[in-house]
Amino acid sequence: MESAIEIMMILLVLSDLALLGQSRLRTCISIVSFQGMLLGVFAFISQINVLTPRIIVIAGASFVIKGFVFPYLLRRDIQESGAQHEIDPFVGYILSVLAGLVMLSFSLWLGGKLPLKTVLNTTLVVPAALTTMLTGLFLIVGRKNALTQCLGYIILENGIYIIGIVFVVEIPVLVELGILLDMFVAVLVMGIAIYHINREFDHLDADRLNILKG
Amino acid sequence: MSNGLLLWFLILIPAVAGGVCVLMPSVKTAFAVMCTCVFSLSLLGVFAINTVFMQSGTILFAASRWLFMDALSAYNLFVMLIIFCLSSVYACVYFAEELRCKHLTLKQARMFTCLWCEALAAMMVVLLSNNLGIMWVGMEATTLITAFLICVHVSRESLEAMWKYILICSVGVAFAFLGTLLSAAAAKGFALGAHDALLWTTMRAHAAELDPVLIRAAFIFLLVGYGTKAGLAPMHSWLPDAHSQSPAPVSAIFSGFMLNAALYCIMRYVPIIEAATGNTSWGLGLLAGFGLFSMIVAAAFIMFQNDLKRLLAYHSIEHLGIIALGLGLGGLGTFAALFHTLNHSLCKTLSFFAAGRLGQVLGSNDMEKMSGALRVWPVWGLGIFCSLLALLGIAPFALFISEFQILKAAIDSNSVVALVVFLVGAGVVFVGALGHAIPLAWGTPHESFRPLKTTFVECVLVIFPLAVLLALGLWMPGPLHTAINAAADIIRTTGSVTYISAGVIQ
Repeated sequence: MESAIEIMMILLVLSDLALLGQSRLRTCISIVSFQGMLLGVFAFISQINVLTPRIIVIAGASFVIKGFVFPYLLRRDIQESGAQHEIDPFVGYILSVLAGLVMLSFSLWLGGKLPLKTVLNTTLVVPAALTTMLTGLFLIVGRKNALTQCLGYIILENGIYIIGIVFVVEIPVLVELGILLDMFVAVLVMGIAIYHINREFDHLDADRLNILKG
Repeated sequence: MSNGLLLWFLILIPAVAGGVCVLMPSVKTAFAVMCTCVFSLSLLGVFAINTVFMQSGTILFAASRWLFMDALSAYNLFVMLIIFCLSSVYACVYFAEELRCKHLTLKQARMFTCLWCEALAAMMVVLLSNNLGIMWVGMEATTLITAFLICVHVSRESLEAMWKYILICSVGVAFAFLGTLLSAAAAKGFALGAHDALLWTTMRAHAAELDPVLIRAAFIFLLVGYGTKAGLAPMHSWLPDAHSQSPAPVSAIFSGFMLNAALYCIMRYVPIIEAATGNTSWGLGLLAGFGLFSMIVAAAFIMFQNDLKRLLAYHSIEHLGIIALGLGLGGLGTFAALFHTLNHSLCKTLSFFAAGRLGQVLGSNDMEKMSGALRVWPVWGLGIFCSLLALLGIAPFALFISEFQILKAAIDSNSVVALVVFLVGAGVVFVGALGHAIPLAWGTPHESFRPLKTTFVECVLVIFPLAVLLALGLWMPGPLHTAINAAADIIRTTGSVTYISAGVIQ
């Protein structure tokens, strides 16, 4: 089981790096979708010894919502806007991947320092979760496209979600479902906002949303 | 009626009413449903608040302790209900004007009334939940629900404000989620079942046994996360945009209560972190630091502001900073901070009401173009001028008293830095905002204007908050004093922990 989890964590980090180096929006959405499915499976596998209906519900819900519903919502936005690529980001793609590697090493260092006791017998989970969170933040700050920023938000939540699964086994199912519902609505609202922005401005550049100042 | 049912009704009434609003056949009926919902809810709320304060130490529980109402939530609920009642009446006045100018369609009215009720329900969830996870869910829900309230009228500016608002607040609140998880992880030491794991009452009772390193990390994330939503600098950048672009009734509830709701979440964690770190004031110091920084940042922006609603937004940052500072100082400061919450909310709703109505008539929020407001429209001109004076902390108003108490708390605790920064910040704001307020009230109006009719309701909307602020500034009623003290005792670590088991009522 440990090796399965380690493989999943490595896949998670690789998908983060792939996301940082990718400019095609459709591919970015696919990567995020893959990550969502990965998380659903991870939630299931990590608790496989103590499988309860709660785990099955949560893992299933996050598998479906993050793996299929979010990508569907965001692909619809792309279709509307016709935007295919992130144009001229603040930080270039090669530099982004390098930044991703720096974030990974920082996470490995920090993961060793934190006094978090996991139920799992592996040291990779915390660094992978931290890298995912940092990647999310990086995408929000370093990219101009509203859609990429939205993906960054999903990735950030993914990272937090892993920490939640591993450290806090005791969260009641109702709270978990509430959190998933909130995330779902957040992405829905962002999707609608992106749709309106595209219609009003004819582009998705959050960078050029700069009328309000001071 | 059993107390448990009471709490359920407080959440369910607005949630259901929101759904009903969408189905209404006309604009008028939609607004009628909204007002009925808010006022009937207030009656229920007042009954619940009364039950809590009648006997000290009373806590109402419901949903097997997942919902609760103690003195702190009751006091905040009280403030929220006042703000929502005033703002709902004002919304009717405000949108009646838009309806007259054909700016409001039925679809927009349905959306507005529905989201208004749902926002109320979400804030109610924040105030009444004993489960810290559900509290977070409620807080995130307020962000998502109110996002569309900003762009009731879709325009480039409002979309930009909305995008910044959702993105910054969602990311901020995601950090608060991480903080919530970390505090749950810190509670692993005392083995609890899934049901009790995140309950505030349990956490508070066992606060001293929490893992000190993890709970510190948790508090930093919580402070940054909920602080973003509360508009504390440097995470405030969404606030002026959202406040200036949304319709005036929405700005009023944003400033009047949504920011307080976020700060309320921090207030809940303050006693836990204090007990967990052995009363070293570590968490309080952080909170006070954010408060002082917010005051300075707001003061700098207030000096050079042209837009009235943005000016008021920066005032919100300043006052939330003052409240955070009061909480951080502890002792008398906590009391004053809670008192200041009420005063600021009342005053700020009035000023947004006035700014909104004047803006509607003059067609701009630019203070240059709005000058001579007292002559253009005496009632609302009086409202904006007096509320600006009150926001500056001028003497007979209640904000002066609460700010003075916070200052006294700073002196009592020998924090020279807090004292100096507070005085400098307040001084700069005083000079800066007075420079805006005087021409705004007495300048020469730009265009010739027709005399405006003022309805009785509008007079009440201006006179009532001003009268309350003036009365509270001169005399503090006994019951209010007791209520605020009871609420402050929950935050203050000096208050004993035993009350949790003392007055449990089901």
